[in-house]
Amino acid sequence: MEQLTSSLAPPRPNPKPSVTNSSQQVAGSVAKRLTNELMTLMMSSSPGISAFPKNDGNLFEWAGTIEGPAETIYAGLTFRISISFPPNYPYVAPAIKFDTPCFHPNVDIASGAICLDILQVGRTPRVFVALTHDPTIKDKWSAVYSVQTILLSLQSLLGEPNNASPLNTDASAVWDTPEVFKTQLMKHYRPVKDAA
Amino acid sequence: MATAALRSQVAAKWHESFSRLNRTEPGITGLISFSQAWNIATEYLHPRDITDPMAVKKPADLASVKVAFDMINRSRRLPVMLETFLDDICNQYHLITRDIQKYLAQYEESGDTTVMLRLVFRLVEWFRAWSPIDELGPTIRGAYTLTFQTQLFSILPPGFVAGFKALCASTLVPVAQHTPEMWDAFEVLGLTDRYEGIIASVGYERIEEYVRETCTGKWDKPCLEGLRAWMTSQIVPWMLPMYAKGAVNTEDARGMLQNVGSRFDFHMNKTLCDLRTSEIFDIIIDFPDSMGALQDLKECLQRVDQRASLVQALRKANRKRLLHPGADTKLILTQYVATIRCLRIVDPPGVLLFKVADPIRRYLRERPDTIRSIVANLVGDDDSGDALVDENEPIQPLQQLEADDYNDPNWDPEPIDAGPDFRTNKPSDVISTLVSIYDSKDLFVKELQVLLAQRLLAITDDNFEKVEKERRNIEILKIRFGEAALQVCEVMLRDMTDSKRIDGHVQSQKASIVHPTIISRHFWPSLESSDIVMPGQFQALQTDYAKEFSTFKPDKKLRWLPHLGTVHLELQLEDRTIEADVPPLEAAFIELFSDKNVWTMDELVAGVGAVDRTAALKALITWIDLGVLKEDQENTFRLLELQEEAAPAARTAPAAIEAPAVSAAQQQQADQMRLYWKFIEGMLTNLGALPLDRIQTMLRFAPGYDQTPEQLAAFMEAARREGLVVGRDGMWKLNR
Repeated sequence: MEQLTSSLAPPRPNPKPSVTNSSQQVAGSVAKRLTNELMTLMMSSSPGISAFPKNDGNLFEWAGTIEGPAETIYAGLTFRISISFPPNYPYVAPAIKFDTPCFHPNVDIASGAICLDILQVGRTPRVFVALTHDPTIKDKWSAVYSVQTILLSLQSLLGEPNNASPLNTDASAVWDTPEVFKTQLMKHYRPVKDAA
Repeated sequence: MATAALRSQVAAKWHESFSRLNRTEPGITGLISFSQAWNIATEYLHPRDITDPMAVKKPADLASVKVAFDMINRSRRLPVMLETFLDDICNQYHLITRDIQKYLAQYEESGDTTVMLRLVFRLVEWFRAWSPIDELGPTIRGAYTLTFQTQLFSILPPGFVAGFKALCASTLVPVAQHTPEMWDAFEVLGLTDRYEGIIASVGYERIEEYVRETCTGKWDKPCLEGLRAWMTSQIVPWMLPMYAKGAVNTEDARGMLQNVGSRFDFHMNKTLCDLRTSEIFDIIIDFPDSMGALQDLKECLQRVDQRASLVQALRKANRKRLLHPGADTKLILTQYVATIRCLRIVDPPGVLLFKVADPIRRYLRERPDTIRSIVANLVGDDDSGDALVDENEPIQPLQQLEADDYNDPNWDPEPIDAGPDFRTNKPSDVISTLVSIYDSKDLFVKELQVLLAQRLLAITDDNFEKVEKERRNIEILKIRFGEAALQVCEVMLRDMTDSKRIDGHVQSQKASIVHPTIISRHFWPSLESSDIVMPGQFQALQTDYAKEFSTFKPDKKLRWLPHLGTVHLELQLEDRTIEADVPPLEAAFIELFSDKNVWTMDELVAGVGAVDRTAALKALITWIDLGVLKEDQENTFRLLELQEEAAPAARTAPAAIEAPAVSAAQQQQADQMRLYWKFIEGMLTNLGALPLDRIQTMLRFAPGYDQTPEQLAAFMEAARREGLVVGRDGMWKLNR
């Protein structure tokens, strides 16, 4: 019977596209881009960086992991970050913050906000990306960047902070005295827990 | 107390009876004459023992008998007379019983059907002897016949049936002369009606026997025509006296025979159909020499509804004889293709084929080397020369399964016995059918590339004809798979020609004995790399060539794959010269021996970079077999500058050194799993410990993820054994 009815009925178009509007199409293309980025990231196997969507329903919120680069003061430490993609990604940079407290000249210890050149957005400063004091590094975000490049930049930022435009002035002050810095760092650091 | 009324009533009755018997004769003379007539009649009718000569009926005075009967009839005593007569028959029947037993005992002893025939005739004799004269009218005669037959059937012992059947059968081969009399006798005794089933079964059995006798194993020509002719010439004459006995002309006879004849014809069809069904597997094997049998089967199936049993028989035979590990994949494919061809003849709509093919296709899908076999066949890489594809078949593009075309004016409904998942596959070509075993043709294209790579790399010595042959193959395959799919193959072929051109150029600049095949890494299937470093002069040759190459093509660099290719060597030893064509590893080893005469295994392996020990051993054994090397102690090899007596081989080559190259399908599977693992790793890194179902849903992000939760569980379990993850309380996390 089912066969009969199904063969009698002309193939019905999926009802969904009938309510298509431009924003959904955009969301679709962003999702596609994010899926591709995830794929690239998964297959790239860059050591010490990783990210993955937080849950299966939402591609726009990712959790990331950055391991401190070897031979830096952050070696052996693992930092969890949150990545939040705007709906008009990749024309606008994703919002990124540290979830693990990170004692770093360019990271706000309380909010986790990061000062990184490529995360700056010219006219629309984001809430937890602090405005840089350096006017030369504006509009650094580009659509050709990807999650992977962001993560790599963040990883290298750990070892090479931009002390010229500190967010955490305490940290930038003690950067040159590694022993003090390390003590401060370990005081704030909380190891990443496995609980999701 | 009798009343007067009663008395008068009895008296009236008595008087009436008396007057009836006495008629109008005076006194009781009427009564006396009636009594005489009665006596004559009963005496005449009394069933006598015909075996007893004393009892033989006296030549009766028919006239007086008639008069007597007439008188009885006039007195209306005939029914009573008949009753007495029939009672007499019953009482006398023991005579016949005795006779029957005598004959049957004789028959059972000899098994001679003429005894049965005599019995039948004897019974007719009894019947005739006891039969009343016709003048008594049909009523009496009918009553007599009925009684006689009833009695006869009641006393016939079970043995009679068997004998009767044998008798009937004996008249069939060859058609006996006494047939008409026998049938008449049967008719007289009422045997025809009573044993109709048995007589028919004799016919059926004869048909079955004949069909088996003449048609078993004879598949080249259709049998049905011959069988029909045989039916006409043998069975119909036999049937005539029984089924068309009253026929006055052929037209009449045909009408009478129509019913029974069609039953016999049906039976013949069914027998042949059953026979062919039981032979179907071998018929398919014999295809196309079994065309006749297939045509018969087609015709029979239209008459007899045996399609289901044919499917069942073939599926069973396939399961038993084909779909087991002992059968070669190539064989299964050949048989599958033959099945396709055969069943298309038998059943053009393809319902039978669909039902039979389904298990075969499912089985083939599980075989790891199915694609390889199909592709090998496609490119004609078949030693048996028994190509699946008929060369006369026009090459056509692969056909995709199409949904029903609603505008097709020639649309037919699906056949009545088609299953719900039946897909009308329009008679498409065999290759399309084979390719459709798998869901995508990509696997084939990939496998094709691998195979092409192997074949191209196996070509040595400017044997350019072979390259041309491959090119022809690819051109043909392009028609099937489409130009785009085979573009990579095109590049590979181009590499071959380019190599030759480049080599020609390089050689013209600086002659070298190295003739490399230069392949474009991105377009060739990933060839296993090797870490062999060619020692000594080989190294020098390679370097020279590479230098020359890079002047010719400055933007490109040669990366050698030294484990591929062959080396032609001429070994000059003290007492002899040995020429050999060997793989590079062998050449590398023997090159090392030009430095010193004794090497240990470990030194040798180190001398050529990294190499698998089994492969190394195999290479060394080649030289030992050629009498060039000798293994003095375990793992120590010495160059024999002077030939030695062939020592018994110290070792035999380890079996199965050459693991078959991973097929593209397996490779793909492995790739997929690696990809999934990356995703699992990614999510566990960033999201911490996760339960299995969460991992399953998160793997949605992985492209083409199609594993079931059970498969994932097995995969995670495998990862746990590898020490990659730990699982606790249903949560999985990375093991760090």
